Amino acid sequence: MSEPVYRLEGLTKIFDGTLTAVNGVDLTVRPGEKVAVIGPSGAGKTTLFRLLNLTVRQTAGRLWIAGQEIGDLHGARLREMRRKIGTVYQQHNLVPRLRVIHNVLAGHLGTWSLPQALRSLVRPREEDLRAAHRALSQVGIPEKLWARTDELSGGQQQRVAIARVLLQNPEVILADEPVSSVDPTLAHGIVKLLVELCGTFHKTLVMNLHSVDLALAYFPRIIGFRDGQIVFDRSPAEISDDLLTGLYAGRLTAASAEDSPDAVAETVRSCTPLLRPQ
Amino acid sequence: MPLPKPFEAALPSSDHSRFLFPILFGICFAAAFVGSWQLAQIQPGLLFEAEGRRNMGRFITGMFPPDLSLNFLRFLVVPFFETIQISVMGTVLAIAIGFPLSLLGTASLAHTGMLNDLEIAGSPGRRLARTLPYVLARAVMSVFRCIPEFVWAFMFVRAVGLGPFPGVLAIGVSYGGMLGKVYSEILENLEVQPSEALQATGASRWKILVYGMLPQALPQLVSYTLYRWECAVRASAILGFIGAGGLGQQIELSMRMFNFHEVVTLVLILFLLVAAVDFLSARARKAIV
Repeated sequence: MSEPVYRLEGLTKIFDGTLTAVNGVDLTVRPGEKVAVIGPSGAGKTTLFRLLNLTVRQTAGRLWIAGQEIGDLHGARLREMRRKIGTVYQQHNLVPRLRVIHNVLAGHLGTWSLPQALRSLVRPREEDLRAAHRALSQVGIPEKLWARTDELSGGQQQRVAIARVLLQNPEVILADEPVSSVDPTLAHGIVKLLVELCGTFHKTLVMNLHSVDLALAYFPRIIGFRDGQIVFDRSPAEISDDLLTGLYAGRLTAASAEDSPDAVAETVRSCTPLLRPQ
Repeated sequence: MPLPKPFEAALPSSDHSRFLFPILFGICFAAAFVGSWQLAQIQPGLLFEAEGRRNMGRFITGMFPPDLSLNFLRFLVVPFFETIQISVMGTVLAIAIGFPLSLLGTASLAHTGMLNDLEIAGSPGRRLARTLPYVLARAVMSVFRCIPEFVWAFMFVRAVGLGPFPGVLAIGVSYGGMLGKVYSEILENLEVQPSEALQATGASRWKILVYGMLPQALPQLVSYTLYRWECAVRASAILGFIGAGGLGQQIELSMRMFNFHEVVTLVLILFLLVAAVDFLSARARKAIV
């Protein structure tokens, strides 16, 4: 069997010496896998993703990507490794004042030289135009090629971000809450799109999701994450309501210790939609 | 029936030191005002004494009528364009000095935050290689802008002689420091998420700069640069007083000759020039947003 895409051993991130966001995570992700990470907000999921896409350095533990240990990687080799990992963020990840075409072609920045990048800003090459148009067609908004990015809706911007990742053509796609800022009806469409694209192009997909429904509906492997640690790692069939209640239950006890009974009731109500519908 | 009280929270205790500070600050301000009044030798009476009144009267009556003779106006054509040229070249030089310094002096680009974490963590050598140019650039920018352009002009007149060139150098250096400082503040305060996403595609810092940061910052950068150009037009007039050419030099000459009717014409022209520059830059700002 080929090398795992990700191998994590005791991966830990502590901010400012006190705040432990990710706490000793062991994890293996194999090529082509589709993994959803769920858990309450503040669980450290976003920090985990920033470790996985090589934005921040771990405080302790070890991380291998495609068999190579990240350790002291820097400079050109670090950028080369980042190029192999595509990230779709929650929001605000496009350059609002640029046209859509340039935001999409930014997926090439890891391979382009600086003069090439500058020339493309002035006048994109014919083949790049075609590639950008193809990617935008795949996400369903080819007509927006020359639109200014800040004139697009939130859902359209998320599609542009996905088109950028398609041009980047990474080995693995990380999506950090890609649908929490779009309309719930659009959310299904975008998650489905990402899952299908990863299937078509044989990419590994790791997605951080707020919505348990979406995770259970589209992903064969679900990781429950809480307080910086993996609570469970199973297939959807093995996930019970008790397991989910346990995953989010920490919020309730924390609330009851500090807040009035009303606040606890409010927390219960706000958590309920997160749980699996009957 | 009284409503039940479900929950009684303790009142947050007041922090008395918060009230102390405004009082202390007020006392300090009053003391500084009284001290400054005395040290700056403020004597409003002087303005209304017989001697002062006579001088003021001579100055004001001497101003009218303004000298609008064709001879004098024709004589002002060269200084007029000289002033514009000094301000334009001074601003161009200021951009050439300020922009590179601002890139070195932007913390988020140089050595802190998301764009540098992985690169410098765990390597004191790489950290130093990125922090040192940052500190040096900040230091150079503060020296450049802390010395007034007037003082720079004095030095450059000694170095390269009288004429417009020392004026250009003086504006270029002191405004270079100011532009650099403000450019780096603008770049520093941009939203970091677009840059983070570009970095995640494998882009180098140069590419993050041209694709992410500069497009976002462009309106602010242009707007502030145009404002500095306005200031440079005014400054080039002042610099004329110490021999840097332009309209300022003519104002100084006419003042010294007690030709106040010429001074009025010159000030009028300067006013129209600044107003025109203001109008032009307002149009340019509107076009770029």
